[in-house]
Parts: sequence; C-alpha cells; structure tokens
Amino acid sequence: MAEQPLHEHTLGNGLRVVVREDHVVPLAAVNIWYGVGSRHERAGRTGLAHLFEHLMFQGSANVAEGEHAALLESAGAAFNASTSFERTNYYETVPISHLELALWLEADRMGTLPAALTQANLDNQRDVVKNERRQRYDNQPYGTAFERLCALTFPEGHPYAHTPIGSMEDLDATTLEDCADFFGTWYAPGNAVLSVVGDVDAEKTIAAIERYFGGIPAGPRKPPPRPGDLGPLTGVRGETLDEDVPSPAYFAMFTLPADGGDDIEAAELAVEILGGGSGSRLYDRMVRRDQIATEVWAGVTRLATGQSLAIVDAIGPEPDKIAAVLDEELARFAADGPDPDETARATAQAERGFLEQTETVTGLANALSQNATQFDDPARVFTAPGRAAAVTADAIKEMAGRWLAPGGRTALTYGGTPS
Amino acid sequence: MTGPSPDLPPGTAGLALQPRPVPGPVPPWAFPAGTAGRVPAGPATLRVDLPGRSLAAVRLVLHSGAGREPAGLDGVATLTAHALLEGTEPGGGTALTAAFERLGASLYASADLTALRIALDVPVTRLGPALELFSSVVRRPALDDADVRRLVRERLEEIAQEDADPGSRAMRELRAVMFPAEARASRPTGGTRGSIGALQGSDIRDFYASVVPAEATAVVAGDLAGTDADTALTAALEGWAGGGGPLPTADRIMPESAARIVVVDRPGSVQTYLALGHGVPDRSHHDWPSLVVASHVLGGGLTSRLNAVLREEKGYTYGVRAGLLRMRHCGLFIAQGAVHTEVTADAVADALTGLRSVIARGIDAEEHGSSVRALADRAPAEYETARAVAAELADASASGLGADYPSNYLAAVRASTPDGVARTYGKHIDPEALTIIAVGDAAQIREPLEKLGYAPVTVTSKEE
Repeated sequence: MAEQPLHEHTLGNGLRVVVREDHVVPLAAVNIWYGVGSRHERAGRTGLAHLFEHLMFQGSANVAEGEHAALLESAGAAFNASTSFERTNYYETVPISHLELALWLEADRMGTLPAALTQANLDNQRDVVKNERRQRYDNQPYGTAFERLCALTFPEGHPYAHTPIGSMEDLDATTLEDCADFFGTWYAPGNAVLSVVGDVDAEKTIAAIERYFGGIPAGPRKPPPRPGDLGPLTGVRGETLDEDVPSPAYFAMFTLPADGGDDIEAAELAVEILGGGSGSRLYDRMVRRDQIATEVWAGVTRLATGQSLAIVDAIGPEPDKIAAVLDEELARFAADGPDPDETARATAQAERGFLEQTETVTGLANALSQNATQFDDPARVFTAPGRAAAVTADAIKEMAGRWLAPGGRTALTYGGTPS
Repeated sequence: MTGPSPDLPPGTAGLALQPRPVPGPVPPWAFPAGTAGRVPAGPATLRVDLPGRSLAAVRLVLHSGAGREPAGLDGVATLTAHALLEGTEPGGGTALTAAFERLGASLYASADLTALRIALDVPVTRLGPALELFSSVVRRPALDDADVRRLVRERLEEIAQEDADPGSRAMRELRAVMFPAEARASRPTGGTRGSIGALQGSDIRDFYASVVPAEATAVVAGDLAGTDADTALTAALEGWAGGGGPLPTADRIMPESAARIVVVDRPGSVQTYLALGHGVPDRSHHDWPSLVVASHVLGGGLTSRLNAVLREEKGYTYGVRAGLLRMRHCGLFIAQGAVHTEVTADAVADALTGLRSVIARGIDAEEHGSSVRALADRAPAEYETARAVAAELADASASGLGADYPSNYLAAVRASTPDGVARTYGKHIDPEALTIIAVGDAAQIREPLEKLGYAPVTVTSKEE
C-alpha cells in the first residue's frame, strides 16, 4: 500500500494540526497533546495536571456534565486521556461519521472549560483521583516503587522528582482557582497539537478544524520550562522498605539521555539487550542460570525535556545478590559491549515495536502528536526503525558505559536478608 | 468565520464557536470473514486476509485447557504453556527466544479452562521463517525436567503475586465460592501452591502428548497478499501427531447462585475490591447478546448506571465495570471495582440498588440504544489489528461457536430491544442471589457489611 503523506497546518491561534489519510477502516482517530504535564506543576500542587485532565470530562460551556462521555459512548467511540511528566493527551477514535462531533467536543473544552468548573465537580473528581491513586499505587504490592525511585533520583523540587499522580495532601489542597489558573496558563491552542488519522479527506478535515477551533483566542504565551537535566547518576542511593509484599525484590532506576538525539537510540537498545524480555542478559543470568530471581524486567521511559529513565525490576529472595549480579553484568556490558547478534535482535524488536505502535489509527495519531509536540516534526515517527537500525555496537557500548555503569543508580530493596 | 452566537453562556465572550454538528449514520462494517481449510489429518485452519495489516498473527488453539487436566494435576496446562516457550533443546536457554527476536517476532502461550493457546506475532514479511520456528516448537518441544523445575518455582512466585493483587484475588475467591468443590472451575486455572509444587517434567510431557492435533484450530491473519500463508501453515503443522492417552472430558458443573458475602481479609487495605457475581448461560445461548447489553447498561462505561452513581456522583471509586466472563459451559455475570475502605458497605448498597434497577424500572430506549451502539459500533476499532481478529476467531473455535459467531453476535446485539434486554436480565440474574466478594481490611469492613442485611458474612484469609 502506498504511503500516505502527512498534511500539516497551523491555525492563526497557534494550534498545530497534522492529518493523515488511512482508508483501511471507516474510523477517525482524534488526538490532542497539550504541552503540559506534572513537570510543569508548582510546589504544593503536585497532581494538578492529572486532576485537571479529569475535569476536562466534566463538561464545558456547551457540553453538560457527563455529556462528553455520553456522546462518545453512544457513538461506539474508544476515548480516554492520560497525563505524563511532559504532556497531557486526550483522544477518541470514532466512526468516521462522528469526526466533526469529536472535533467540536475538543474545541468546546479547549475554548470554554472554565464555564463548567464547579466546586462540586472538583470535589467529586478529587475523590475519584484519590481512589485512582489508591487503586493503582497505594493498594498494590510494589505500587509506589516508581514514585519512590523518582524522588530518590531527582533532588527535591526538581520537575521530575514527583510523578503525575501527585500526593494526597496536594490533591486535598487544590482549589477551583488553581484549576482555572492552570487552564489559563497551559490550555492555549498554541500549546497544543491536534492529529487526525483515518478514513478522512485531508483538505476537508483541515477546513473543519479551522471551522471548529479557529474561533478560539490564542491566549497567553506559555511560561518557559524549568530545566530538567541531571546527568548520569553516581553512587547507589537506596532505600529499604518494610512493606507487606509477596516477595523480596530489588528495583533500580538509571537516568538516560533525553529523547531526540542519537544517544537515546543507542541507550534504549542497551537497556533492551540488558533486560528486555526472556532473551536478555539479566533474565538469562538471574532467572535461568543463577536462579536468584523468578522475574526480571527492564524498560525505558523516554523524556524529551529532561533525562530519560531506565528501570530494572527483579523479584527474588535475596535482593543483595541481585544487586551484586546486576553490577557484574553492567560492568561486563560496559567493558565488552553487545555482540552482533544482540544488536541485530534489539534492532528487529525495535522495528516490531514501531509497527505495533503505528498499526492502529489511534496509535499513529498519538505518535504524530507526540513527535509534533516534542520535536516539531510529526514525520519523525516514521524514522524510528531507521534510527534504531543505524545504531552501532560501539555506540551501545559507549552509552552503557556512560549511563548504565555499575554503582550508579538509585534503588529500592523490598524485604530480604539485610546487608 | 462566524461571530459568537447570541445564546453562548456567560464567560465565553470573544469566542467564535460553531453549533454542535449532527453526525450522520455510522458507515457499514463487517467482521472480517476467513477462508476455512484443514491440514491433512491435522488442525482446522482459518486464513483471514486483512489488507494494510503488516503485523501478522497466528493463533493455535488446542482443546487441552485446564478443564481437561487429569485429577491431581491442577495447573499442568498452564505449566505446559510456559514450558513450550523454553524451546526444543533441553537446556537450550535463550536460543528459541533469540531466534524469534531475530525475526522481530514473539511467541506466547497460555492456558485457560477452555484451551491451551499458542500465539505468534510477526511482521508479515517474515511470516514464513517464523512459522518454521513455530512448527518446531509445536512438534518437538523439549519440556525438559530442569526447565520444568525452574518454571514450577516461577509459577509459585506468580501465584503469590496474583494473590497479593486485590482484583485477581477477588476473582479466585468468586470462583471458589460459586462453583462446587468438585468443579474444576472452583479451583485456580493456573493451579495452587500444592498442586504446582508436585508437578514433574513427565506430567508436562504426558499432558502435551495427549493433544489431538485434529481437534485444534489454527488461525492466520494479516496482510497476506503476496504470501502463501496456506502452504506455510500446512507445512508447519502437517504430520504433527500427539500419541498420548486421551485427556479426561471437561466437567460441566454449573455455578451456584445464592446470596452470600465473603470477606477476604487483607489487613491495612486502603481500598476494598468488590466483585458481585451470578451464573449465566454460556455464549451459545441465544440470550447471551442481551445479557451483554444489560451488563453494559449497568457497568459498561462512565455513563453506565453503576459508574454514574459510584464514580461520578459519589466518588467512591476510580471506576467499576460489569460484564460477562466467558467459560466453555457457562458464563459469569460480574460487577467489580475497588472502592475506598470507609465507604465499602455504602458502595455495596448502591451497587445492589443498581443491579436491582434493571428489574425494578427496566431499561429505557435511550440507554439501550447507547449501549447497543457502544458495543456494536466500536467493533471496527476493537478488531482493527490482525491480533484482535485472530484471537476472537480462535476463541470462537475453542468454544465450539464457529467462525461466523462474531458477526452473528454483533447482529444479535443490534437486534435486541430495551424490553427484551431487561426481561432477559431478570430471567437469568437474581439480584437477591449474588455472591459478593470483598477483598479488604476485615476489621474495618466486616461489621458494616453485616449491617447491610443482605447475606451472612464470612471471613477468609488472603492466603487460603
């Protein structure tokens, strides 16, 4: 099938638009990235970006409370939103017949959200979010590990030292005025990218977007972001936890290069070779051969305006042994680098990951919004397999030595024999 | 650009917004049809060509689920699935995984009560070589003693992790309470600490040898133009033979519905995981689609009856859902979700009011229409990938429903009526005979649950 071109357009109010025709199924994916996340929150108001995301579903000037969900549910739409460190993302995949309704709904909340902000809605969604926190983190074994590792890795007050869910205290302290200010500061068209992918006519879609979003005022310029860089970690800063978990475990975090350059491509392949799945070095050593862990997993969170992060999780009765073997494997990797087969496998997996990410209209729309928001280049999404394939073994070795060195990480130890 | 319309609410001056558009009809869409075939003396096959889907999916479904495990070997199906991924050479280590990774492919295997399922995902350009590897795994898995010993330890750890998760602990308890002890469904699909600890390599090898290839189904889906998927699939599976003794027939013991509340004590829990269950017929029953619609009205989305009250009005929960659990010989209606510990009993009371409301006041045309559209019109997105299509068709086959089941089901959802759905719900689900599982802090929730007066409350420990 011939590749479809990207159609890019910027409205007078600053809203950036990306449209791609994809005529495989009669669907349209609508995806908006706002360039605001938990890294933009101020001290004492952690969790506000995410709480605000919930309020975006409570109605706007011309959409009654609950109506947003009702209209989309009865259209057979898949819809949701998510808040991360650097962005907040709203999306709905609708039958093509409902594209304009979806655009209208997004425009109404982008333009008029404060008209529907009420204390009752804030109080209700605050309770919902607190239950989200309990369900996903506080009431799950190891559930707060990522949050704790971020707090260990970054100095207090650093934009990445807290995670999007925020603290119960800050959620409780959030006022209606905070929410209105937050909207006024960050939810301007110029701080958003709207992507549409699906069975659409690109020209007509851009015209419709002009119609629905063009009347929204540009709003203020957003404040400059606080710097998010940190560099490689030195030393092991750790915490031992006495929590009721099913088994002892060892969780580690490493900083990595920011997304956007060649370095993160090599660094991500390095993490993949080390701990990505049952064919990886750490799995083979810890689970299969030494049998000191029953599970080990590593993964990367790419971040564009700060350090990216790598996590290694291992479950096993003696976390100290896991930590020691981790250091051994990191030292070996930094010294020898990957073998050619490891590099080839990691590259093939990266290609597969790209296909998985972009094979649905929903996934592709999200990837376009991401690359437009973070790199001002939506077409960058299509270069992912090529970027991975261009990484050399030397580059992987260099990145491993710089960012994944033995003795440079933060770590959580759950239970096990004390050292 | 038009000027602001005069009836805009206050606070929106300076905006130039458009009136709400009225959507036209949803375009037609049909569940992808496949071409049926058969490997000589081997599995039935189904090829589904999906233009534009460059990731191909292969799903092989074996009629060797946990429901057919020999007595005393609970979990042998699950462990067999895990052992299949270890490769074809004893002590082969990462060789098999590495071979799939080189192709950008992945292999998974899992077991449920109905079937043992093997899944291959691969870029369609490398389907041929991936099927050759797949073939070696299916025909000649090592199922080696040393690997099995390690996998037993890993499975024991998984059981501990599953029991520590409130949601999966609730599902385990729900089945244990609702099914009589002699039903396989009353016990965990993946086995218990006791049963897993006793499994040997020979148990795994015997179980796998009992697979009857002619009873299996293989589905391949993706953008198959330019590939000879039929030949490759036939080559992969032709001549594969089982050779072991027959497995026992799965029991068809039905769940027992009665009013009861079981607290699974999880001291210190800040939330209670609630599951309210009732037995329903299996998917082959003509009432199934209406029961799905009724479940959606109750707990299908944010605007469903349960979420409208428990989440959007009261903030008791991040969200609840109601749906039907598919089993081979029956189904379970389950409404579930996590609520703040201190409102546990209030949340149960509101949930019961919701579950009674379908009988008390029926279903109105608007919410019925909304649920029908939510279920049927989302199908194009739900089945956009080859993986989703292949898995659904393979599951229909495993359940003896036929390849046209997904289409027929969607048509039946559309053909349902508000009154019919409410009547069907009342026929199969008695809101006064629900099994309620509450995984939470017994010291805090037992008494309030007793005060509800719905049913006697018993308390069990997390590890039992």
